[in-house]
Amino acid sequence: MRKPLVALTIAAAAVPMLFGVASLPRPGDDAAPAHAHATALYIEGGARATGADNLVTGVLLNYRALDTFGEVMVIFAALAAVMAVLTPAAPGSGDGPGAGGPAGAQVSPVVAYVVRLTAPFIALFGAFVIFKGHVSPGGGFQGGVVLGALLMLLSVVMGRGPRTPLIPAAAARWLQAAAPMTFAAVALLGLGLTGSLLGFPADPGMAWARELMIIALELGIAIGVAAAILGVFLGMRGD
Amino acid sequence: MDALHEGGGVSQTFDLVMLALLIAMALAVARSKDLVAAAIIFSGYSLVMCLLWQHRGAPDVAMAEAAIGAGVTTILVLVAIGRTRRKEK
Repeated sequence: MRKPLVALTIAAAAVPMLFGVASLPRPGDDAAPAHAHATALYIEGGARATGADNLVTGVLLNYRALDTFGEVMVIFAALAAVMAVLTPAAPGSGDGPGAGGPAGAQVSPVVAYVVRLTAPFIALFGAFVIFKGHVSPGGGFQGGVVLGALLMLLSVVMGRGPRTPLIPAAAARWLQAAAPMTFAAVALLGLGLTGSLLGFPADPGMAWARELMIIALELGIAIGVAAAILGVFLGMRGD
Repeated sequence: MDALHEGGGVSQTFDLVMLALLIAMALAVARSKDLVAAAIIFSGYSLVMCLLWQHRGAPDVAMAEAAIGAGVTTILVLVAIGRTRRKEK
């Protein structure tokens, strides 16, 4: 009884989706609705107008900055939910079930050595991805995840428990909120400079200001994402 | 032939092989009873997905896929398995 029902449900969901896929415009089709309106304007003037040579970053952090603000809030809310559900009520109330998982297992000295050896290079790559994100592929989200993964690795290898966390709890709270706070600060700065929230000064002579605002956003996103990922990981591990 | 694939058959063959691999890996993840194995295969799925994004001319998305999909998601899934059971009932 159940199997035919499952098959029927999957078919009922799949058939409309496949019809939808079949009616999508072909990749690179310049008559597609997505390319018909603002795209030409973005490609023509984007590099000059946004403060980011990488058009993807220009759209993400300038033209569509408000959407990215929302995205950042989603990540922050996810972290808050994980911490509300998984963080033990009394801090340091024992190692609990987390000690049995792969994260709490004894780390081989080979792994620990390799992690220590590669950590500075991973950190350098993460920083490179963050700071070059406005001129080449990459940016705050990607570089922040690289840094967050590095922090996860270090917190596994260095075997610190809830009592001596990698980042002090008081600092961690501020770092986890870095992305929304940076966005709010830049939004208010834009309000002061142009009269609209998250507005970027349009004056050609203010290119340096646009670039600085983009870099500030990238840096805030990176710190916030790295801290949030580490927070989710530690919350799940039971620290 | 769309603009990305004017180069000829090699590019399209790459796409087809990768897509076939994706389907095979998705089925393997769904069928695997060992959840750690499923998590590792899923990490490989993200890696193939990353190659496809790069091939499609979206390096920004490819980087995010490699870091989030293949890296962080796998670790979080492994932690979750560590706190529950390894085998699916």
